[in-house]
Amino acid sequence: MKIFVRGGDFIYKGNTQETLSESLSEVFSNRVKEEKMILTLLAGNLIHGLLLGGVYGLATMGLSLIFGVINVVNVGHGQFIMVGAFVALTMFTVLGLSPVIAIPAALIIGMALGFFFFYTVMRRLIRAPELTSLLATFAMGILLEEIAKLIFGADFRGYYWAVGKITLPITTIPMSKLYAFIGSIAIALFLYLWFSKTRIGTAIRSVMEDSEGARVCGVNVSWIHALSFAIGIGLTVMSGVLLTMFIPVGINPYMGGGYTLKAFVIAVLGGLTSPYGAFFAGLIFGLIENGAYTLFALIPGVAPFPLTVSLAFWMLFFLLLVKPTGLLGK
Amino acid sequence: MKRSYLTITIFIVVFGFLFATNAFAAPKKLVIGHPACLSGKYAKAGEQAIGGIKACIDWVNNVYGGVLVAGKRIPLEYKYYDCESKKEGVTSLIERLITVNKVNVVFSAYSSGLTLAGAPVAERYSMVYMDHGGASDRIFQQGFKYIVQTIGPGSKYHVGTLDMIKYFDPKAKKVALAYEDSEFARMTMGGAEKHAKKLGCKIVFKRTYPKGVTDLTPLLSDMKARKPEIVVGGGHYEDGQLFARQMSDLDINVKAVSLVASATLPAYYKALGGRIAEGVMGPSHWEYGVTFSPKGAKKVGLDWIGPGQDEFVSLFKKALGKDIIPDYHAAEAGAQVLAYVKAVENMNSVDQDKVRAALGKLKFMSFYGGWDVDDTTGMQIGHSMVDMQWQDGKRVIVWPLEAATGKLIYPKPKF
Repeated sequence: MKIFVRGGDFIYKGNTQETLSESLSEVFSNRVKEEKMILTLLAGNLIHGLLLGGVYGLATMGLSLIFGVINVVNVGHGQFIMVGAFVALTMFTVLGLSPVIAIPAALIIGMALGFFFFYTVMRRLIRAPELTSLLATFAMGILLEEIAKLIFGADFRGYYWAVGKITLPITTIPMSKLYAFIGSIAIALFLYLWFSKTRIGTAIRSVMEDSEGARVCGVNVSWIHALSFAIGIGLTVMSGVLLTMFIPVGINPYMGGGYTLKAFVIAVLGGLTSPYGAFFAGLIFGLIENGAYTLFALIPGVAPFPLTVSLAFWMLFFLLLVKPTGLLGK
Repeated sequence: MKRSYLTITIFIVVFGFLFATNAFAAPKKLVIGHPACLSGKYAKAGEQAIGGIKACIDWVNNVYGGVLVAGKRIPLEYKYYDCESKKEGVTSLIERLITVNKVNVVFSAYSSGLTLAGAPVAERYSMVYMDHGGASDRIFQQGFKYIVQTIGPGSKYHVGTLDMIKYFDPKAKKVALAYEDSEFARMTMGGAEKHAKKLGCKIVFKRTYPKGVTDLTPLLSDMKARKPEIVVGGGHYEDGQLFARQMSDLDINVKAVSLVASATLPAYYKALGGRIAEGVMGPSHWEYGVTFSPKGAKKVGLDWIGPGQDEFVSLFKKALGKDIIPDYHAAEAGAQVLAYVKAVENMNSVDQDKVRAALGKLKFMSFYGGWDVDDTTGMQIGHSMVDMQWQDGKRVIVWPLEAATGKLIYPKPKF
């Protein structure tokens, strides 16, 4: 006897009413278990996605800030993340310092790099054709990769920061991931307050809105350009440290490329000139990237992971069609 | 008239003699060309391969006295460029090595994808193409004539692993397969799946992940929910690190984890910060401690060529200028040098077709173990794999039992 149940047919091979009812109850109980498992998996993945999204968001804020203020797309963005990863790795393995201490160190190193590249390269390119600045930031990225390769070699490295885990009924969360998320939220909040409550923050926002107007009002636009570029790079390098707290393996000079791609998607999603938009878009991106896996896995005969990876680009495509200015862009 | 015939005959004889002596004259050197992975994702394996090749060239030139061709001992030379672990680099460099550097043989880069990319180029120039890093069976199903494999076929990688687990734990049944969506990993895991089913195991989870993945959390959470006892997976070094690390993050504790082409690398333990790698296993073509010797070769009726294991290790260290123990990438690349030398000597020629024919018939043993390829396809059939496990920061051979340097820790320690 063939009985239709939700999700597929059930073929009954027994011959009594009792065994039929037992078999059906087993089928339903398995179905309930399966559905419960899927919901648990989805919830767990969404938690991990939210945590990762926070770090993605912070990693993209620098890109948006730089584009917003000096109108330059930093194609070497991922390579600055790589610098941050090596700062964390070196401080942990050579100096024995916690990645938490590496966060301010990365900010200082990142800002120093930002000022250096601004005054040596970017200052001359602010009004140059877009292709020139694209090539310049691309070259900066390659330079950083090769310097990192010269110093650290091309090996894939990692470190083990044993700070424990939290075991929830639906998933296990390493404390290092939680710290990375909390760090990202705290930094994003600090930036928000700094941008809205301080004179320099207001000056940066005014240059983002209208640089000529800001100049007329007495803002030193050239200095704001330099400072914003340095803060943008500092944030990016700092996010490299937070990313290694999330994923402390695979640290190598060429790790940046994948993150550049993700950062572009997130930046466009959030509205290219809005650092806060980028942060929220990062959270959304993380949630979708992780959550979609569970849903795609329900489709029979489909490999969910490659679909999940491509989903980000479908999102970008769709958003460009529907709202090209991004979620929080004007 | 007679005089002119005589002149022509003398001319032909003299010219023929000169041609013949030139043809049979040994070249001044034999050049091995190699698009090496000095940078990019396969840099780690690439460095090992270069070390292994240089070590064996050093042995051939300075211990063995050079390759014996036409009664003369001639040295080997090694010409390599960085292919950056990219297919386009491999194809253009092979062309350059053949046409500009005039090499006598080309060694493949690393990985099935790169090896497969380079094969048509070598084939176009009828150049012997020796594969020490491409394990996919598919490479040898394309009808290439000049390719010869030293590394074992991918479909056999986990045969020993699963046999070993069944030997120690006949009740273990639930197997999860999670692997990189690459030519090599697909072939390896296809073989593992087939063998697991043959052993009566149930595949409770089977998923792939794309190359260059930076977060495996969703996939591993899914795998955890299926409650596997044995996890077989990986693909290459970087995702092998991520795999174990995130299994630990998610507290996925199983009886056995075997990761392909990553866990066997010496740097793996350090990259994971030590503890997480404990108990992780990996199939290997060679491990330091495997006991192959001239005596053993004689026992099984094979010729022996090359340095002994310790001699190879010291030559490897000298070649790289680093105090590191070579892994199987180094050993298989080195053994390939020995196979080429043996084939050239057997044919007393450097002619590509003759050398390829000699490689097809060649059977020998070296520090790397047995070497024998299928005459037609060039696929390696004479080399057996071992399984290693990380134990207290050391790589211990745990299978086959006759080659084991320690006992398997089973079930593996918790992450």
